[in-house]
Formats: sequence, C-alpha cells, structure tokens
Amino acid sequence: MSDLASTTNSPTSRFQVPRRLFSTLEGVFNEELFFLILSVFIGIFSGLAVVCFRLAIDWTHLALLGPLPETHNWRLFAVPSLAGLVVAVLVLQVFPGIRGSGVNQTKAALYIFNGVIPFRTAVGKFICSAIAIGSGQSLGPEDPSLQIGAGIASALGRRLQISREKLRLMAPVGAAAGLAAAFNAPISAVLFVIEEVIGRWSAGILGSVVLSAVSSVVIVRWFLGSEPLFRIPVTTFKRPTELLAYAVLGIVGGLASVVFAKSIGYLRPRLKALPRWTQYFQPALAGLLVGLIAFLGAPQIMGAGYDSMDQAMHGQYAWKVLAILAVLKIVATTFSFVSGTPGGMFAPTLFIGAMLGGAVGDIERFYFPQLTGSTGTYVLVGMGVLFAGFLRVPMTSVFMVLEVSGNYEIIVPVIIANTFSYLVSRGLQTVPIFDLLSRQDGLILPSLEENREETILRVEDAMLPVPSIILSAQDYVDANARRIQNSADTTFLVRMHPSGWNTVSRDLLQRLFQEGKGELTLASVLPPQSLPGLYPDLALDAALRYVNVYPLVPVVNRADSRKLEGVISRDAVFTKYGSTQTVAGV
Amino acid sequence: MSWNLSKLVPRSAPLILLILTLAAAVSFAAVSHLVVRFTANQQARGRKLYAQGLADADAARYDDAIDAFRAALTCDPTNSQDQLSLARALRDSDDPRRLDEAESYLIALWQRTPQDAAINLALARVAAHRGSIEDAARYYHNAMYGVWNSNPDANRSKARIELIQFLLKKGASGNAESELMVLAASLPPVPAAHVQAAQLFEQAQDYASALSQYEEVLRLNPENSGTLAGAGRAAYRSGNYAAAQGYLRAAVDSNPRDANSRPLLATTDLILRADPFHGHISDAERNRRISAAFAQAEKRLTECAGQTNVDLKTTTAPTASPLATLQSRWTSAQPNLARLRSPAETDLPDSLMDVVFQIERQTAEICGQPQGLDLALLLISQKREAATQ
Repeated sequence: MSDLASTTNSPTSRFQVPRRLFSTLEGVFNEELFFLILSVFIGIFSGLAVVCFRLAIDWTHLALLGPLPETHNWRLFAVPSLAGLVVAVLVLQVFPGIRGSGVNQTKAALYIFNGVIPFRTAVGKFICSAIAIGSGQSLGPEDPSLQIGAGIASALGRRLQISREKLRLMAPVGAAAGLAAAFNAPISAVLFVIEEVIGRWSAGILGSVVLSAVSSVVIVRWFLGSEPLFRIPVTTFKRPTELLAYAVLGIVGGLASVVFAKSIGYLRPRLKALPRWTQYFQPALAGLLVGLIAFLGAPQIMGAGYDSMDQAMHGQYAWKVLAILAVLKIVATTFSFVSGTPGGMFAPTLFIGAMLGGAVGDIERFYFPQLTGSTGTYVLVGMGVLFAGFLRVPMTSVFMVLEVSGNYEIIVPVIIANTFSYLVSRGLQTVPIFDLLSRQDGLILPSLEENREETILRVEDAMLPVPSIILSAQDYVDANARRIQNSADTTFLVRMHPSGWNTVSRDLLQRLFQEGKGELTLASVLPPQSLPGLYPDLALDAALRYVNVYPLVPVVNRADSRKLEGVISRDAVFTKYGSTQTVAGV
Repeated sequence: MSWNLSKLVPRSAPLILLILTLAAAVSFAAVSHLVVRFTANQQARGRKLYAQGLADADAARYDDAIDAFRAALTCDPTNSQDQLSLARALRDSDDPRRLDEAESYLIALWQRTPQDAAINLALARVAAHRGSIEDAARYYHNAMYGVWNSNPDANRSKARIELIQFLLKKGASGNAESELMVLAASLPPVPAAHVQAAQLFEQAQDYASALSQYEEVLRLNPENSGTLAGAGRAAYRSGNYAAAQGYLRAAVDSNPRDANSRPLLATTDLILRADPFHGHISDAERNRRISAAFAQAEKRLTECAGQTNVDLKTTTAPTASPLATLQSRWTSAQPNLARLRSPAETDLPDSLMDVVFQIERQTAEICGQPQGLDLALLLISQKREAATQ
C-alpha cells in the first residue's frame, strides 16, 4: 500500500506506468505477429474506404441519373458524356496512372515497384471511378476497390517505414481487403488475389490476406448490412445428364470471353496510340456510346448492373433480351474500358455472364423441356463461366458463384461449365486478359496460369540408376579397394551404419590402402560427414544446392531412408536442364 | 535513415498499434456519421417513392408501382416494407414471369422474420397464384398463427376466409369445410361475419351449416330480407322444405321484388303439396298424391320423347330408347294404382313412386332440368334418395 502510495504520489511515476506497460507489451510482439495485426488494420481502413466509395457511387448515380433511369431521357447520354470529360481531365492532369481497372497496377506494385502505390493514386481512383461508374459508364466498382485497398495498405506500410520485403506484401493484403469489401465475399477475394495479383501460392502471406479480407468484410457488413448482392432464387440440379447443357453454356461463355478479351486487346493499344489530345475525349465518347445504348432502350447496361442481373436471375427477361443485353454490355464495357476511364471489369463480366447464361439456358430449355434447371441457375452458372473464361481465374470463379449464391447444390454444374469456358478461352486466347494488358503497358508480370503451365523438373527426372557398387563403411579398406578394382567409376557411394551416406573417391581409397590402412574400417578413416538425402519428387532446383558440394548425392525413399532410389550428380542435373525446354522468365 | 520492421517492432509496436486503433476509431466514427446522413437522405427519398408506388398499386397501375418500388429500394435496399410492397406488386401484376421475383423477395423477408403474418400471407397468395394447395395452405396457416401488427383477430379471420375461398376455387371442398368449421367456431357475434360464413358454407355445398349460420344472423337481426332469402335458399338446398317455405315466404313478404326467392318458394310449395311421403297426411291424401305424380310422370315422359323424337312404342333391345323402357315400366305399373287403397299393399306406394322418380331423373338427364311439378317430384326423389343412403 505504501509502495503504491509513493508511486502514485511521485511526479515522475505518472510516466512510469505506461512505460512499463509498453515494455511488457513489446516483449509479446515479433515481426510476424505485428504484420498479422497490421493486416487487420489494413482490412479495417480498406473496408471503411470501400464503404465511402460505394456511398460516393450511389450518391453520384442518384444525383446525376436519378434512382431509376428511364429510357428516352436526354440525361442518359448527356451525363456519361460530360462526366467522361471531367474524368479525362482529372486522369490526364491530376491523377496520372489511374487508367483501367487497377489489378495490374497492384500486381506491378508487388513485383516492380517494391510495394509502392502512391496514395494519390488511391485517392484519384476513388474520385474518378465514383464519377465514372456513378454517371453510368459500363464499369464496375470491384477492381478500383482492390486498388484503393492496396493503395491504403501501401501508404500505411510506407508511413510505418516497414522493411521492403514486408512493404511488397502490403499491396496484395490491401487488395484482398478492398476486393472482399466490394464483393462482400472474402473467400473469392482471397483466391483472386492469390490467383491474379500474387500469381503464385504463397503460404507466408495467406494468413495476412485472409485476416485483412475478413476484417474488411466485417466493416462493410457493419455499415451496409449483410444483404447479399443478389436475391438467389431456388436453384436445383437434379439429373447428371443436364451437365451437358451446362457444358454447352461453358463453351458459349468461353467464346464470348474470347470475343470480349480480343476486342479489348485490339482496341486498347490503338486508342492509346492516338494523339494525347484525343484522350481528353475518349471517355466522353465512350460515355456517349453507353448513353445512346441506354437511351435507345437498354439502360440496364449502365454502371455495374447488379439490379439487372438480379432481375435476370428471376426470369424477368426473355432470352432475346438477355442475349441482346450480353452483346451490348460487351460493346459498352469494351469502349468504356479502352477509353482509359478508371473502373473495373468484374461487374461487367458478371453481367455478361449472367445474361448469356440466362439466354443459353432459356434456349436449351425450349428445345429440351425436360431440363429442370431454372433460369436463375443458368444465370448464376453463367456468371462463373465468364469469370473463368475472361478473367481466367478458375478457382475464384467457382468459389465466387458459391459464395454469392450460398448454394452448394450447383457446384458440379459450375465446375463443369467453368472448366469448358476456361479451356475454350485458353485455347483461343493464349494470353490472359490481365497479362495482355500488362504487356501492352510494357510490363511482364508473373502469373499463376504461367506457373501452372511451366514444366517442373524433379529430382527423379535427372536421377541416375543405383550404382552397381555401393561400399560399406563397416568393411575394411582393403576389401573395399578390391571391390572397386574393375570399376571405371571415380567416386563411390558409402553406406554408413546405422544410417546415412558418404562418398569416397578411387584415389583416396587407393592412397589409404598404400599407406597401410587396409585393415582399418572405412568408417574410421573417412572424414566425418553425412550426405544430405534427396527425394525423387523434389524439384530439381533443390538438388542444385548439393551437387556442387558433393560429387554424388543419394536419392532415397521417403518411407525408408536406407533404401536407395538412385543418385544424382552435377553433370546429370545440368544435362537435364540443358536438354529440356522450360518456360523461363525473360 | 533506413528503418525496417524488425528494428521498429520491439521499440514501438504497442505505440503504433495504439495510434492505429485511435485512427481506426476516429475513421469509424467519421464513416458512421457519413453513413447515417447518407442513409437518412436516401430513406427520405425512398419514402417518397414508396408512397408513389403505393398510390400506383392502389390504382392497379402495377408496372408503375413496380418501377417506383424498385427505385425506392435503390435508395433504401434493406427496407423490408419496400421489398414486401414490391413483391406484392410483382405478384398482382398478372405476369407469371414476375412471380419468381416476388417469391424470392418474400422468401428473403420470410427467412429474416418467419413469424411475420403479412409476409406469410403474401407468400400464401403467391402460392395460390401458382395453384399450389399445399404451399398456400402452409403459408395461410403461418399467417393465421403469425404475428400481426394490428387487428390480429380480424386479419386472422380474413386469412382463413381467403384460404377457404382458394380451396373452394381449387375444388378441395373437404379441406375447405374443415377450415369453415374452425372459422364458424370462432366467429364474432357480428351478422356480416355469419353471413360470409354462410355463403362460404353454401359454396362448399354444406347447406345445413349454411342454414345454421343464417339462423344465427336472424337471431341477431330477424328482419333482414337478404338473410331470410339466404336461409330459405340454404334450407331449400338442404332438403328442409318446411323450413324453406317459412323463410322464403317471409323473404318474399319483406321484399316483394326478390326475384330469386319467388320461384324457390313456388317449387317449395309444390314439393310440400306433392310429396306422398310427408308425415302428416292421410292415406287418402297420400294415394291422391301418388296418382297425381304417376300421371305427371307419364306426361313428362311423353313430352320428353316428343322433344327428342323417340318412339316410345319400340321397346325391343338393342334399339330401344331408355325413355321407351321407362314407358314400358310405367305401363306395367299403372294397373297397380287401383290397389293403392288395399291395406295389405304396404310396399306399393314405394314401388309406384320409384317408377315416377326414375322417369323424372331420366328425363332430367335427357331433356334438361324440369319445371313446376316435375321439378318438385325430382327434388322429392333426391331427398328420398339422400334419406335412404
């Protein structure tokens, strides 16, 4: 009691209590734990930013177009055109580098710019995308949300002056948070960031990505409620034979994806190559085109189009309307995107897929009335189909549909359709859309699809057969010397006891014999070293670490390390690399 | 100066986290403020559109109402009232393609508040539009036992009446009668409620229950001519002609322009005068009625044969008409009329009237519903048949 009294009465003790507290807490943290906690904050800040972004889009839309745009209203083409002019000026004069979706820029930040995304870019993306999408340009809010999240994370990381290694990882962590908040779907966001932004499976960052995604979704649900993007109708899958119908949808979706991707790939560099002054008018002209389509009877194609997808899901449109909307959306989104207007392609992709799915489903059911899948089921599957075919993220496409629908009954149709779409798209359009856009901008970034297609060489590919002579460490030197007399090899593998491996050269063994050590065991005269054991399934790269140090490296069985599967040498490894054409980075 | 996380963390991690927490709290508060203001603004706009939608829906301009409710939902996407009204407008728009969307809105609402009676009632109506008896009955029952925001008893009764009407429309009379029994047991002492129940009983062809409902109304309001006519009609349909005569006469007396009750009263009078099985008549009167009925049957047979160009003399199968067969039966039974006075012939009235009844039924099938005494005899035969079953 007296201690407490003396502590609290002392003027300096007021500062000692927090200092003690901090010193105690400091012992708890290490770098990894701190980074994980930081991921939660990135999620919170990104979530808050995405909430504001959505409000900004809604507010802009209501202010400029009203709650429910009607056809044949002059505002339909005037608003996106004028807004396009404003956006162009902002992009060209104030916020350079915010053109397009933002996915590539985030990926470039990870791989080229050491995780740096200027905060100004995030601010610019927020403002310009809100104006563009709110005014009706045929673009979505998801990709900008991803870049806004990544920008916030990057700014936070730089403010905290964290290491370059960790700063690089901040961008994908923030990207996952932004995308999860925009989609209200954390699993899909995590998968997309792994498939498209990081481009490889990396366990090290997975925890942070998941934490940021989940915390941002919690924030968004806190403010905007947990209402799903769509009201999912009853979706059923009864007969396995119906998978054929979904396979057809996959093929059609794959073809549509190719048309969409090729249109963007063809027009984007050509419009970028036009004189700079034309870039002030390109978004306005794209807006005019979108507005005219809306004015003439298809206002559904404006903006993200979630309401129209919802109505398509509930059979509100005949198949002809659905097909026309899909085609018009491809046209509108292509022009909106290639004009350099900031905005995303996620929502338009879903829109095109939804309309196409509904149209194909209705046609199939017209000719085959025994098909039991509802229009809503085909619309949902169609969304995944375009996602898989256009964005080329097969895993994300499956989980996105499941997460959005909350219905696992349709997992088989989704997988089948997405697989067909992915294969058709990959067959007809070798380079995925995001890689294509990067290359058009002069950037070569790694991709998961590239990794998947890369031939991985394994130890077993370069492994030599088990040598005919294996010496025993327990045998005498003279006995071992006699065994190698007729062999042409220069190095021999020695089996140690009770376990382990070593090597001995012909010269060393003969010298030991000549020095009169023939009656000593090989174990007693060999230098005390144990060779590392390799396994046949390991990547051949793993062998490189050892073949320069040891002339022979044993390849052993994973279940029994005493069982020799073969050996590997430096020559064998280099011969294998030399003889195999592998996909290598430029 | 080059910092990295490993150097930074041991020194000031708690401080950094404290600052981040404070920054998050401040940002959270700021965004909360923004969201609240934006939401309030949007809700106000949504309320205007909602009111416009309601006006359109009331005027049966469902397309306009749907647009207005959709716009209201754009402003306030989570508003249950907007969703429910949109679902109702979609359902009432008589476009089968819109039922799916209506249902999905309602299902989403139902998942949030399964006890809400209004949502269950709306779902029941969607199921009724689809013609699904099972689903409609389930949701109607949920509505009856659910939570109503106002007038729970009246609303429950309305929901049950709606279910009964749906069941009757779908021909599920058994289910409808069960619901009617429950309804009748819980009716308030209000004439209109009993009249409605009586009419529903009539639709379900349970005329005895309908009569008792009308009698209940008459107990509350004895002078109502419409109720008297209803009671007379129910009594007439249930075969209670004595009661029917009293109610119908009173109905005609109180409303001489009642064109529906007058022919019923005339037929009832005929039935009561012609029925040979009436309990309070002498043997002589019974024999007279049998003889008159027998003669009337022959007349009806001849007229019907004339209408259909049937030769009553051809009685040999297979070309014989059913009317000719009846004529043959009538001819062979006619001599028995003379033996009616004999006390030993106890079965004779029945066998003679059996011929009469067969003729009336058969001619009604072939030549259509009879009039006058023939109709009276037909109804007597139906009552007799029902009594023996």
